Amino acid sequence: MSEFIDLLISVGIASAMIRLMTPLLLAGVGELFVQKSGVLNLGVEGIMLFGAFFAFIGTFFTGNVGYGLALAIVVGVAINLLFAFLTVSMAVDQVVTGLAINIAAIGTTSYLYRATFPYATAIPAKTETIIEVEPIPFLSSIPYIGPALFSHTVFTYAALLLVPVAAFMISRTSWGLRVKAIGEDPHVADLLGLNVVRTRYFILIMEGVLAALAGSMLSISQYNMFLDNMTQGRGYIVVALIILGRWSPINFLAGSLFFAYIDALQLRIQAAGITIIPYQFALMLPYLASFAALALVGRRVKGPASLAKPYKKVK
Amino acid sequence: MHAKGKTRLSLRQKLLLLRLGTAFIAIVAALLIASILIVSAGANPLSAFYHMYVGSIGSFPALVETLVRATPIMLVSQGLAVAFRARLWNIGAEGQLLIGGTVAGALGLYLHALPQPLAVPLILLASGLGGAVWIVIPALLRAYYEVNEIFTTLMSYYIALYFVSFLLSGPLRDPVGLFPETTTLPKEMMLPIIIKETRFHAGILIPLMIFGPLLYMVIGRSTVGVKLSMVGCNPTAAQYAGVDLKRVTVFSLLFSGFLAGLAGGVEVLGIQSKMRLDISPGYGFTGIVVALLGYMDPIGVMVASMIMGGLINGSTTMHRLDRVPVGMAFMIQAMVVIFVMVGYLLYDRFSRKVVGRVE
Repeated sequence: MSEFIDLLISVGIASAMIRLMTPLLLAGVGELFVQKSGVLNLGVEGIMLFGAFFAFIGTFFTGNVGYGLALAIVVGVAINLLFAFLTVSMAVDQVVTGLAINIAAIGTTSYLYRATFPYATAIPAKTETIIEVEPIPFLSSIPYIGPALFSHTVFTYAALLLVPVAAFMISRTSWGLRVKAIGEDPHVADLLGLNVVRTRYFILIMEGVLAALAGSMLSISQYNMFLDNMTQGRGYIVVALIILGRWSPINFLAGSLFFAYIDALQLRIQAAGITIIPYQFALMLPYLASFAALALVGRRVKGPASLAKPYKKVK
Repeated sequence: MHAKGKTRLSLRQKLLLLRLGTAFIAIVAALLIASILIVSAGANPLSAFYHMYVGSIGSFPALVETLVRATPIMLVSQGLAVAFRARLWNIGAEGQLLIGGTVAGALGLYLHALPQPLAVPLILLASGLGGAVWIVIPALLRAYYEVNEIFTTLMSYYIALYFVSFLLSGPLRDPVGLFPETTTLPKEMMLPIIIKETRFHAGILIPLMIFGPLLYMVIGRSTVGVKLSMVGCNPTAAQYAGVDLKRVTVFSLLFSGFLAGLAGGVEVLGIQSKMRLDISPGYGFTGIVVALLGYMDPIGVMVASMIMGGLINGSTTMHRLDRVPVGMAFMIQAMVVIFVMVGYLLYDRFSRKVVGRVE
């Protein structure tokens, strides 16, 4: 029995949960602002995958995670600029464009991986360095809480800080209110003198940076390698968590905690070698949980009024 | 534009030409990018493209293999075309395909008491139903509670993937086999070969002779097609016009699941003769690209499937003969999908002009 409780609650699982939550938060905060401005970018999955790949490539060939992250960000921003051009400037369907980017990301990264490592055998190429964990002095030595909460990479701390900052920006700053106005009714916002196109471009560029970083967490922080379709639908899960959280950063944080806990739990079930549960069911757990959450909480959700609707300025 | 007043094409024909034109541009642009990649991989693009031609449509056996490859893609994209028309985004077709394949692989071992002409259609029907069952919950949730189907279908893909992986390594595993796969089916359970010495099996005719004409009639020549488009354009208006929104939603999603499941069944009974996890190199996702490339048009998706089948087989030949890295097909597919978006853009621009002139 105590083993069972140990499986469910421990410092290890809490630490893993925070670690696994980091990419969700980074990508989620970006996507939250994007959706607040009335744009649905499903392509966040694809940008994460591109981010994971290019962070790995950059780090692998230079031995420096800084270059890896920089490369990932450049590619992430480029992809979102393409998305912005198609959907914001040219009013192409946002759902279709997002899906297209995701399919393109799977194809492009798996090709480029094989082109870069043509003789890769069963053992995948690994980077020699990863983003280092930087325990916060003093705080990290608090028993239990220290190792769980204060022994992570700087990106985890940044991601955790980003959530209250985002909540503040959305509800307490005039910029946040303008973004909301644009997401509710871009035509009216335009009449009021707000620049819909410029705001959406700006937010999408920021999302490009954040989602690329989120992907990098997978390849050069949680692992030290790249795997085909490494994101495994995490970008979609981020979008689902935003919807389930009714576009509130705090609710989104709660949803991410839940998902990351399930994800950490399934890793522990596998690692603990519990044979009663086949490992496939452990792997399935996060998706079952998301599915159930959508079925129970995702009913008749009303988002920003103009979400995913193409907007064309009337001349 | 340049055809001002000279030709007397109907509006329908003009729009068709426009679609063909933009789809053509998408593929040519993708191949151009591919040739840059071929050069950067140190191969000769002319030789590579020649081998792509040889490997896809350059000979009769190659052509048959292209059809073999196109068949599951065509089935998936035919189903998705119906759902996408109503703007219902089933992106979990790959999962439904795996379920369909598993049903076929398992059932084939139990139905061998039945005569082949009875057993094979029954198994295929069951694999289609398996795919449909896999999308029942997302479809109902969408129809009755407005739960976004994009996420539920994607989650159900991963659930299917791990579930099938579990079945193949456990309950359904061939007890004497080395790999996680089902026992090889007896020949009587397989789809009959139509052209001797090739892999041209009867299943190839299913999308060509059954669902192709069916969709052509239903989408182009019946009220069902109009209803789908109405739901896709404006669900509220469709409802006021008397369209049963829930029924259209459930029907079109289940139909797309059925065809994806059938694709898995046809692949197992036509080619693989057993279920394994790698029966599909992402046909379910390729189907999404193809449905979009074919503008969700019954003929369009058939043509686009064959093009995609040819590109996949052609790039395998390219890999073999020109040392182009494996996976070039993925890359070309990725480029096609990006340029399809640009194609949509062009189509949108010019169709407004074409339609505008008529009014």
